[in-house]
Amino acid sequence: MAEDNKYLEKIKTQQKEWEENVLQKRVKRFNLKESPTKFYSPLSTIKNDFCEKVGFPGQYPYTSGNNPFDFWRAYAGDAAKMGYRPDWGGAGGVGKYGGFGTAEDYRDYLIRMHSMGRTGGPNMAFDLVTQCGYDSDSPFADGEVGRVGVAIDTFRDFATIYEPYTGALEIDKVPSNFTINAPAAIIIAMYAVLADKRGVPLNKLKGTPQNDILKEFIARGTYIFPPKPSLRLFRDTCVFCTQLMPELNINSMGGYHIREAGASRVQDLAFSMANAAAYLQTGIDGGLAVDLFAPKFTFNAFGGSMEIYPEIAFQRAARRIYARMLKERFHAKNPRSMLIRQPITAHIGCSSTTLQRPLNNLTRAVVGGMAAGMSGGMPGAFPPFDEPMGLGHSQEAVQLQLDATRILIYEAKVSDVNDPWAGSYFMESLTDEIEEQTIAEMEKIENMGGAVAAIENGYMQKAIAKSSYQKQRKIDKQEEFVIGVNCYTGQNEINVNVNREVEASYDPELMKSAEKRQKEKLSRLKRERDNTTVHSLLSTLRQHAKDEAVNLMPDICKCVENDVSLQEICDVFREVFGEFQQAKL
Amino acid sequence: MKNSWDKLIQGIREKDIRAMARLITRVENREDGWKTAMTEIYPLTGKARVFGITGSPGAGKSTLTCEIARELADRGHTVGIIAVDPSSPFSGGALLGDRLRMQQIFTIKEIYIRSMATRGMLGGLCQAARDVIRIMDAFGKDVILIETVGVGQDEIEIVKTADRVMVVCIPGMGDGIQAIKAGVMEIADLYVINKADKPGADEVEADIQAMLSLSSDLECVAPPVLQTSALKKQGILELVSALLENPADTKKQKVKEEIRIKEEILSLMEREVFRQVRSVWENEGSLLDSVSQVMQKTSDPYTIVKQMLLNHKHR
Amino acid sequence: MNQKRKIRVLVAKPGLDGHERGAHVVAYGLRDAGFEVIYTGLRQTTEQIVNAAIQEDVDVIGLSILSGAHVSLTRKVLDELKNQKAEDIMVIVGGIVPSEDIRDLKEMGVREVFTAGTPISAISDFIESAIPAD
Repeated sequence: MAEDNKYLEKIKTQQKEWEENVLQKRVKRFNLKESPTKFYSPLSTIKNDFCEKVGFPGQYPYTSGNNPFDFWRAYAGDAAKMGYRPDWGGAGGVGKYGGFGTAEDYRDYLIRMHSMGRTGGPNMAFDLVTQCGYDSDSPFADGEVGRVGVAIDTFRDFATIYEPYTGALEIDKVPSNFTINAPAAIIIAMYAVLADKRGVPLNKLKGTPQNDILKEFIARGTYIFPPKPSLRLFRDTCVFCTQLMPELNINSMGGYHIREAGASRVQDLAFSMANAAAYLQTGIDGGLAVDLFAPKFTFNAFGGSMEIYPEIAFQRAARRIYARMLKERFHAKNPRSMLIRQPITAHIGCSSTTLQRPLNNLTRAVVGGMAAGMSGGMPGAFPPFDEPMGLGHSQEAVQLQLDATRILIYEAKVSDVNDPWAGSYFMESLTDEIEEQTIAEMEKIENMGGAVAAIENGYMQKAIAKSSYQKQRKIDKQEEFVIGVNCYTGQNEINVNVNREVEASYDPELMKSAEKRQKEKLSRLKRERDNTTVHSLLSTLRQHAKDEAVNLMPDICKCVENDVSLQEICDVFREVFGEFQQAKL
Repeated sequence: MKNSWDKLIQGIREKDIRAMARLITRVENREDGWKTAMTEIYPLTGKARVFGITGSPGAGKSTLTCEIARELADRGHTVGIIAVDPSSPFSGGALLGDRLRMQQIFTIKEIYIRSMATRGMLGGLCQAARDVIRIMDAFGKDVILIETVGVGQDEIEIVKTADRVMVVCIPGMGDGIQAIKAGVMEIADLYVINKADKPGADEVEADIQAMLSLSSDLECVAPPVLQTSALKKQGILELVSALLENPADTKKQKVKEEIRIKEEILSLMEREVFRQVRSVWENEGSLLDSVSQVMQKTSDPYTIVKQMLLNHKHR
Repeated sequence: MNQKRKIRVLVAKPGLDGHERGAHVVAYGLRDAGFEVIYTGLRQTTEQIVNAAIQEDVDVIGLSILSGAHVSLTRKVLDELKNQKAEDIMVIVGGIVPSEDIRDLKEMGVREVFTAGTPISAISDFIESAIPAD
């Protein structure tokens, strides 16, 4: 101990000398107020206890990683020899995120993918109409049916998509992803009913619904009901899944959308942790033991940016904050409850890409990939460089994106070391800093009454709107630089164009006619179904919705099984729960 | 000119919404001829009942205004809403967001909503608000709601242009009603406790009643206190009925009206005199001269004003 | 005392797309450029947008669309403006709009399209130069 102190004293003396004689001299020489760079020494982290703050990979508090090594790393050599393409699915994963038109259109697309060997499970994007709880015949649907995803009005649509998933691709063998939030309970019910009809045991079903409604209020905007009844629906899915579909993930939370909506790094982390806490408490209030359901919580991603160091620190801080929250606040015992399970760690966000000289986005994606590889994940380069061009990703861009990741793994060997920054004076102090700021923000939200209160009073929404504006002002005032956007735009620069072929995955003619076909199908169904049953099911649903204690999942299952439409169910909830009203800016 | 004053005023008579909207803009901008236009419109006014809605930020005023308007429309009234938000003192711009909480009534034909920025007009906002009210009145809106945040003096002044003012409170506002500016509480003809589905509504009501009982004016009828939940559409019917009820104290109302008219004449006069003096002063360049005189200490502001007024009188 | 005429702008999000970042940034930015900005929030129908524009007597409608449905949604707004004889109100569009669509939008009558990376000053400058100063 005396040795240690002597050592630190020595560093302190040297640091003082350095600051005065070396650093300040140079700062003066360049006529600056302060140094444009920073340097960290052991003094930055003297308080840190390695075991308490970092730990070994796969051990509490998981700062250095969820696992000693990830499963993909175990098979990395084989994957290279086989030429494995993660975007094609297979190996028990989901396929590429997608969906368009009617259920028939999307089904036919999936069949085509299967014929090409791309046999991943459905990874469904829903159109905005479905996401907002409307049917295709609603006035709100006009022009939006089947546009950004597939249109689902009734269970029959849902079942149609699964027609090609039989035999080796039966739903107990391939997982499904459902990127849906406000009506997630209805889609989960459809999945359960499908299994039931096929005789597949519910406890064999795999998959992940997004089911993260709180961030919709803050960032993405596809909410329907106010936060409180929305959490009640979450509770019902959480209890239903835990009891009957224990293999299914309950949700896929995250701060990705929050950051993309303009949140700062700390807001991203604090808000998503506050949301996670609300879900955890909801599960516990629903009568579940935390270790029974928390292991089935997942994260899709947090936000990202081009700032490589803080993004690495962010991931390390996130794992530590979540693990500690689970252990200390929610008294989890199962280590799996404490993990942030997410497919990727650091990355750049889509909002980090630029429309100007778009090939630069490949360089940006590589920086994100480096950050990912050095923060406990696969060094995934994301997104394809043509992301901001708004036409869908070209084959060329996707190829370069995949290759960039491969180059980082196999040539740069970025993933040969776990948490390579562990113990770095700089990175450890940066991790501590992000953690401290995040916890302070979380406490602020907690004092308001938690995530729900901070949404109801508009705090989170306003905070994000302000952050996004501040960021834009910094760019406009050249306090921050974005290459090709607010600097290096002069005549000396040239545009670099590349040939791009957009894979014509979605037939534009089908897209155009989808609304009409979907409406016809729905009106036929509404005529032909047993409408007496429909009405009586809806009236039971209404009654039960009014009683907070009732779990609505069995009623929703009965409804979807009897061709009650998604909007009909949502309308009953709208009537009982009301609709969310945005806060004023 | 495409939109001459005459044409716009004719449009108002013909119930053309665009004409009303344009007329409001031009009067609000104080474009040349606005006073003549207001004079022409004046005989068409005097039929509307004007209700002011104020309270602290976050009290749910916009949502409440929205629900009141909807209920009024249901009862056959045509409604005008003026939603006031502050202008930025730095840029002069404004972000007018009250409409966002009124989405549900955007397409009800009988309801006209107009967002209005305070525009940093010292005292001028009041007159502008009166003018907008009159244009809506002339158009045929028979109830006009004017909504402001009760934080600044300007905002308090505007709601005073209303026939009746309701002050909106919510449960859990710190120390009872202390959070509301004293000046706001004094102008209330009616108290509304919004978000009354939340715990603490009865406490706020008790606080208000206690405060009212302290009032020394024993002859006055105490303003009613009502509870609502605008989001849950509770208490709205009762509130609207209370608003529409004839004020119990007509004598008080008459006194109030006299004060209002007097204030308006005085304020118009004040602005007009000021405008005239200033325009002469500016046109002749003597304002800048005066400034430099004061800076060189050859004169002082008091003397300059005195001289200026004397000169003006002799013109 | 001729004060400068205030330019009034309606920032609107038609359709179901819930990405508000662009609308927020533009609303704040135009406020700070001295405009009076009316923001009406998410999920606005064509009728709601046009009614608001008329009632507020705005000079400009700025539509923010990121769902890819910009052509059809904008066309509906333009048609409704014509319907209500308010086609003199200038319409501008912001969002993720491929260059081919920019051409189509302008042919339909959209005065300008602003894509990602546009500084706010470019939008405010454009509006100021496009609005007659009478």
